[in-house]
Amino acid sequence: MSLGIAGMGWVTPLGSGLTNVWNRLRNGETAVAELISSPLGRSCPVFTVPAGTIAPAPMHPRLRRSSAISRFAVAAGLAALDDAKLKLDTETAARTALVFAVSNGGVIYTRKFYHDIVESGAQAASPLLFPETVFNAPASHLAAVLGITGPSYTLVGDGAVGILALKMAEDLMLSNTLDQCLVVGAEEADWLLCDAYRQWRLLRSAPPVEPFQRPPRGTILSEGAGAVVLSRNGSVQLERIVAGTNFRKQMEAGASVDKIFSELCEGDIGLVVVSANGTFIDAAEQAAGARNCPNAPFLAVKGALGESVGASSLWQTICGAQSLRTQVVPPSLLSPKGRDISTSGSGKIRRAVVSVCGLNQQVAGLRLRQD
Amino acid sequence: MPKMSLGNRQPNAARVAVVATGIVSPLGFGSDETLDSLRAGRDCISRVTRFSVDHCRCHTAGQVSDDRLANAAARSLRPERLHRVAQMMLIALTEALGQAPGFQPELSVVGTTSGGMTFGEEYYRGLRGNRTSERSAPSLIANYAPQKPIMDAQEAFGITAPCQVIANACASGTNAIGHAFHCVRSGRYERVLAGGYDALSELVFVGFDSLQASTPERCRPFDRERSGLVLGEGAAILLLENFNSAQARGAEIVAEIIGYGMATDNHHLTQPDPSGSGPRRAMEDALQSARISAKEVDYINAHGTATPFNDAAEGKAIAELFDGVAVSSTKGMMGHALGAAGAIEAIFGVLALQNQFLPPNINFQNGDAGLNLNIIPNDAQAASVRTVLSNSFGFGGTNASVIIRSIDA
Repeated sequence: MSLGIAGMGWVTPLGSGLTNVWNRLRNGETAVAELISSPLGRSCPVFTVPAGTIAPAPMHPRLRRSSAISRFAVAAGLAALDDAKLKLDTETAARTALVFAVSNGGVIYTRKFYHDIVESGAQAASPLLFPETVFNAPASHLAAVLGITGPSYTLVGDGAVGILALKMAEDLMLSNTLDQCLVVGAEEADWLLCDAYRQWRLLRSAPPVEPFQRPPRGTILSEGAGAVVLSRNGSVQLERIVAGTNFRKQMEAGASVDKIFSELCEGDIGLVVVSANGTFIDAAEQAAGARNCPNAPFLAVKGALGESVGASSLWQTICGAQSLRTQVVPPSLLSPKGRDISTSGSGKIRRAVVSVCGLNQQVAGLRLRQD
Repeated sequence: MPKMSLGNRQPNAARVAVVATGIVSPLGFGSDETLDSLRAGRDCISRVTRFSVDHCRCHTAGQVSDDRLANAAARSLRPERLHRVAQMMLIALTEALGQAPGFQPELSVVGTTSGGMTFGEEYYRGLRGNRTSERSAPSLIANYAPQKPIMDAQEAFGITAPCQVIANACASGTNAIGHAFHCVRSGRYERVLAGGYDALSELVFVGFDSLQASTPERCRPFDRERSGLVLGEGAAILLLENFNSAQARGAEIVAEIIGYGMATDNHHLTQPDPSGSGPRRAMEDALQSARISAKEVDYINAHGTATPFNDAAEGKAIAELFDGVAVSSTKGMMGHALGAAGAIEAIFGVLALQNQFLPPNINFQNGDAGLNLNIIPNDAQAASVRTVLSNSFGFGGTNASVIIRSIDA
């Protein structure tokens, strides 16, 4: 069975709109960080989704009290369906599955809900907030907006969860009762996440994110959503997905990442979209790339968009697919001027690898192809 | 509306064997203790002591003994970091692998709603100057993530399979078994680990209490006077394998998964469509997937949370589809283990098949006149059981049903 990407959409710190954000990446733009303050007297830079980015999204009743993560996901999902020229009616919605990838979920409402318990006791807990704390609340809202009544799964994990979601979608599409699968990854920013990742010594105090800088100086969190529509006739083929294994410690990530690269770097690889983000991940991917794909340029999108955890691997996948579609590789640290493949004389790139190493032990990857 | 069945109409679909199970719940550690409790109709609900419930309506839950969990930690490479629920998974996996030594899954699919939530709570309290833990903040952060318990359990046994962790609220466990079934049935995978886990946490406990979904009284599924759910916790694992491969290597096959259905109900984030359409579609889809008629089902382990809404919707759907099938909810005995419930209750179904009895629906005094159901009241009953259907429904409109058949059927 051959699956392909029929449509893509995203909401990012560089805005929304597939072409709009892609052009900004091509021009070497980097998201602008906003300082998020915590009640603990600390502030943290985060690449946030600019105000007004998701204004065009429909105000469905289900979104009335929802958190940002749900609104990001709905906007990205609708954009992906639009890009696929797919309008879901009752019949097509019944033949559409939804797989939703999250890492931290509705953290804003979860924090607020638990804060009330800690500060004022259980009797102060808000029944309006609690339902939005469940991991599958965003998927539920999206399914309601789209009218999806069949398979809907929410997967949780670290930054690799988006690839695991694509793998699940690939397995679901073995059923002849499904025509397409909408895969969405989303994340929302909050000071609590910043504090946690800071304590974990993974953040830096100010931009830029510098992938492959030695020593690594840390990353900047970001938020947003990415969505792809998988179908049996998508233009960019999902040639292979490797769900990967788990590593125990950060210093052991290299072996797991190397395994992913060794399984995916077959044939002529024109590009590797890496998850390098200014942390231990960078060295692991650099070493694996040197061993397995030594001639392929690396595209480190997190330098521009930050580390969006649950949304990140969908963004990486979209960048890989866009590179194949447009034959352009945006600038990145290893290729500062970017590369317009169509004018470089080096021939068309037909295959792109997406490598994902999460911050919490999971690795995965995939290979795309466009003839 | 077209029926949705997942991977079940291919002409050469593989059969899916359950080759081992492992379980930890308030009913006991392991299948033997669990069987004893089920047969005795044991009420394993007790007052919550893990956190203050003084300002909650509900004060009770089904809880797993911490003393016995502590022994499991020794197996892990880094026992000091394990969350309680990771310890439960470790014990469950120990039991399962004891039945199927050397089982190496190609994929693990598990369900949970909150994973290591209490570590997140401890972290937040520490930030607010209300420190309740000796653990360092980085340890709490790293081990709070919902996927960590399955990864920790796998690590202890050298299992390297990728982990798909489904968080579909209270349907997660059944969704995990169902997706694992779909994967093996498709022929793409030979061996998949399936299961679910969840542990009691203050945030979730207070959450259900704030919705007034949990009861200050006993949990009375399908009873006329039912007033809400009681939470529980636990972990359960089922090792699934291609039936022919399992037979060929001489594995002991404990049961067969024959069908799975799921449906999404977009009525409301927390309440089911009162028509019961979500549960009905999930059960219909599971029957289609199994290629059996409703009358071939001998027993339904209901979701049966004892909330007015769930039991009404589920009861209506069961009554419409089945004619007098035996029904019980086991949540009166151990509470609602959320993401673990579907996996735990699937094992209850396996035990019912292996031992030819119907688990009881305890705390049942008077049937709801609006529900025409054949409830197994209060005491277990010996019965001829060849096919079991297990339901799980959750927030976000998730509905899942799985059908398990005896290998002697």
